[in-house]
Amino acid sequence: MTALIELKDITKTFLTEEIETRALNSINITINKGEYLSLSGQSGCGKSTLLSLLGLLDSPTSGSYLINNVDVSSLSRDQRAKIRSEQIGFVFQSFNLISDLTIFENVMLPLTYQSGFSKKEIAEKVHDVLAKVEMSHRKDHFPSQLSGGQQQRVAVARALVNDPAIILADEPTGNLDSKNAQAVLALFDKLHQDGATICMVTHDPISAKRASRCLEMFDGRLIADNLNTPSHQKLASSVAAIELVAS
Amino acid sequence: MSVLIDIKYALRLLFKAPKFTAMTLSVLVGGLTISLFTFSFLYSTLHKALPMPEGETALVLSTETIGISMNMDTNQNSLSAYEFRQIAKTQSSLDEFGLYESIDARLSFEDTGKNISATYVDSGFFRFSRTKAMMGRTIQQQDMVVGTTPVAVISYETWQNELSGSKDVLTMTINLNDRVTDVIGVMPPGYRFPGIAKIWLPLKQSQLNKQQNTSSYFTAYARLKSGVSNEQATKYLSAALDQLYQQSVKLYNQPEANKIVHLRSYPMDQVNGIGNTMFIFLNVVAWSILALGCINVGNLLLARSMERQKETAIRAALGATSKRLVSQLMWEGIIITTVGAILSVLLVGAALDYTNIALHSWMPNSMVFWWHWGLDKETLGMAIIVTLVTIILAVFLPAWRSAHQDINAALRDGTRGAQGKKAGRLSRLLVTVQVFLVAFLMLIGTLSGFITQTFINLETGDDYSDIMRASINLPKNKYQTPQEQALLFQALLERIKNDSNVIDAHATTLSHLPIILSEFDFDDSHEKLSIDTFTVIGNTEFSGITLVAGRHLNRRDKSGARKVVLISQSMANRYWPGESALEKKITLEIAGKAESLFIVGIVTNRFNGRSLFGKLDSEDETYISGLQFIKPRMRIYYKTIKGSVNAAGIFYRALFEIDRNIDVVQTVQPAERNRNLMRDGMRLTSKVIFGTGFFALMLAMVGIYGLTANSVAQRTHEIGIRRAVGATDKNITDMFIKQGGRQLLTGLGLALLLFTLISVMFNEFSEGLIPTYLYFVLASVVIVSLSLIVMLAIYAPTRKAVVMEPSLALRYE
Ligand SMILES: Nc1ncnc2c1ncn2[C@@H]1O[C@H](COP(=O)(O)OP(=O)(O)O)[C@@H](O)[C@H]1O
Ligand SMILES: [Mg+2]
Repeated sequence: MTALIELKDITKTFLTEEIETRALNSINITINKGEYLSLSGQSGCGKSTLLSLLGLLDSPTSGSYLINNVDVSSLSRDQRAKIRSEQIGFVFQSFNLISDLTIFENVMLPLTYQSGFSKKEIAEKVHDVLAKVEMSHRKDHFPSQLSGGQQQRVAVARALVNDPAIILADEPTGNLDSKNAQAVLALFDKLHQDGATICMVTHDPISAKRASRCLEMFDGRLIADNLNTPSHQKLASSVAAIELVAS
Repeated sequence: MSVLIDIKYALRLLFKAPKFTAMTLSVLVGGLTISLFTFSFLYSTLHKALPMPEGETALVLSTETIGISMNMDTNQNSLSAYEFRQIAKTQSSLDEFGLYESIDARLSFEDTGKNISATYVDSGFFRFSRTKAMMGRTIQQQDMVVGTTPVAVISYETWQNELSGSKDVLTMTINLNDRVTDVIGVMPPGYRFPGIAKIWLPLKQSQLNKQQNTSSYFTAYARLKSGVSNEQATKYLSAALDQLYQQSVKLYNQPEANKIVHLRSYPMDQVNGIGNTMFIFLNVVAWSILALGCINVGNLLLARSMERQKETAIRAALGATSKRLVSQLMWEGIIITTVGAILSVLLVGAALDYTNIALHSWMPNSMVFWWHWGLDKETLGMAIIVTLVTIILAVFLPAWRSAHQDINAALRDGTRGAQGKKAGRLSRLLVTVQVFLVAFLMLIGTLSGFITQTFINLETGDDYSDIMRASINLPKNKYQTPQEQALLFQALLERIKNDSNVIDAHATTLSHLPIILSEFDFDDSHEKLSIDTFTVIGNTEFSGITLVAGRHLNRRDKSGARKVVLISQSMANRYWPGESALEKKITLEIAGKAESLFIVGIVTNRFNGRSLFGKLDSEDETYISGLQFIKPRMRIYYKTIKGSVNAAGIFYRALFEIDRNIDVVQTVQPAERNRNLMRDGMRLTSKVIFGTGFFALMLAMVGIYGLTANSVAQRTHEIGIRRAVGATDKNITDMFIKQGGRQLLTGLGLALLLFTLISVMFNEFSEGLIPTYLYFVLASVVIVSLSLIVMLAIYAPTRKAVVMEPSLALRYE
């Protein structure tokens, strides 16, 4: 398998009012193409920080970060923005749709920050991804007119629209009821089957088990890195199915 | 109790955001100060009652002759004694009605002297002003009888300054116009009615009893009978006056016209009745600045309450009534507005005091006594009204809006809900209005700056340095024939010239005379041409109107001799291009008679009041000999050697030696004085307009900066999202700039449209005073500088938000 992402000895410290918080402490991970990672651990252990670094939303204090063997830890702000718009899709716990834009406009956003797409191409791509998450019928609505689950599906569509090399999701089901959560997770399963690389933060062990590889963090360190066997996966999905029936 | 909690909370919020508080406060104080100051200044200048008992009902009756152009040589704005007698006999709309005449008197001491403003008054004058003498008595009927000892009532200040406050002032005499005059009374301090008088003298019965054709002219004071409106009285009196005037047109060959009456308050009359227009225009400018301030303050407060929308929604969800919410949100604004109002009232008070001192020292002798500027109850009342209006517009409305938001939407939606969107649209509209107002003020400001500059540097064509001037009016009964009048002026000029300090002197007066140019074809021959004609005794060379060809007028150009004229160079070039105009003939209509005149000289051009904005050669002048066409009222000009002391005394000595009974209608003063005052006034106006424009610009900059900063702060989270999905720094700044740019363009566009309209009109009116390209330069300068400033005001806060790491921005709620 080809290594898509390599993190080498990454640390991240925050300085607020003279208090130093070491959010990440020498993290080493290699993510291969097509993997479905889950990242779990207790609150405050550094999961979101790690995801932000992966998504180039922030830069590490030390260590190196390679995407496709290119070191991106020392790129300029604009170069990092370019990588975000072309190679990364982000899904947040709180959806983070822009309330002044329609669903269509929200989804289209990453494409508008890339050059070379015609209006028609953009419309087609947006239409495709909205169809994938079954939200085409609401494309002219505003986020506040949708339920949380629907908003999150739109957020997933937005993360997909630029055909990213990796999808990063920070507790995507954290604000959802279990039914909507299952729908979103099922969406991720499908994306994984279609070959997408996904890294999802979750602290729900059952959701974590659906991934192909489970990472666990504690106090800024990586403490476990296990590959899930297919049987595990099957078990996880059947448990989820039972839950779904029960609810 | 709950109010106290709210106030405390509001104070905490204000102190927590000192930058916001300072910015809002300064915007507010600026706007309030400018508008309050303008209001107070104009109100005191134009609308305040005279500071004397029943001053609010004291009116001045002036007349206007409609149908002939203004002419300095006739007294068309005054009432003749004859007209007064006739009207007073029959009228029933005025309670008190009398005459006075203000002149300059010469107060002489051993060997020096000074000019002093004096007013000839009738016996009803002091009763009219409801003021008694502080010592002695005022003018009585018996003082007006011809042949009685000359008497004078003096002002408190004259008593103090000229007679050193002597206790036995009532037994003293003063030398007034070379006549020993008894002091019979001293008026209380500050009394200078009807304007700037320092001495009051009795009008003589003989002057009041004159016949229609020999009558002198006066100003009239009046009070309306109770129950009679100003309109009714004006209408009745105008009709009566016009009837008298039509008689004199028939009997005495007066120009055909209509004469009407104005009954105005003294302050209004002082500005010739244009007070209302001025009051409205300047107030509109000042209030639009306040509107700018209000827009900004309201906008800032609105943005702030939007920021706290979620908090408000939470409070509402917890059961706060909307009344409570409005009150809670309002306190912050109320505190800011009240503090701002108090600060600006203090500032306005200081500015008014300063203005008062500055203006009184600038024109110490020509400030009418009711002009006093300072904090008064009208200004305070206005301050309260304005504060309340500001609170309603800039505080209550935003608070009310935000308290009546959809709680659900706000709670679900974070900081910016559907309400936020509406507020955003409103605030964008306000930015547009703001840009429009500022652009317009700047355009008008720079244009008027240009105009004043042009005025200040206006070419006059003459040279008035070291020249003194005074106007005298020969009493008609004493100097009846033209010969007598001419002799007197000649004698006076001779005496002035005899002084070793005097270089030369002449007497002159200006009139607009119809000109008949039969040998030339004119397309607009239906239009009666008239020309500025100076009647001159003496030589104009020393005043800068110098000879180009031929000769000057001299003492041989007298009645009986060939009638001659000098023309200006412009006229020679216009009608006789390429040939000599000398010995050509022109025909002027002088005193109703067509007079054929030989051109004997050509002189340089001079500034001409008929084309205020024109070049020197755009209008023509002619000069006729005073010995052939005399006028009883003339201006004496004389040039002294540099550094002569008591240049004014030379004139009075000469005059008193010849005839001490001649009225000096305009005091002796440097001929340049009025021009200098005009220039100073222009400079001041121009500075004020520039200052106002600059302040408006600052206001807009602060306002737009504040708005953008707020909008950027509110959208920090959104910026985080956009950056997360790949927006570059430039994408984000572009977004804000584009948004501001749209408002900038709309506002600028509207302002330019209006400016174009005004420019085209002004250009026509001013006969191309300012070259057309300059309007474009001016507009471009305003566009570029305003755009830069607005863009900077937008860019600066955007820059700050962009620098933040997206991961941090996303945590922002
Ligand atoms: N911008 C920041 N400034 C200061 N401290 C931060 C910042 N972001 C995260 N932290 C700290 O870093 C640690 C890890 O945070 P986070 O990655 O959000 O945890 P998790 O997502 O696992 O709950 C926490 O202690 C948090 O307080
Ligand atoms: Mg987290």
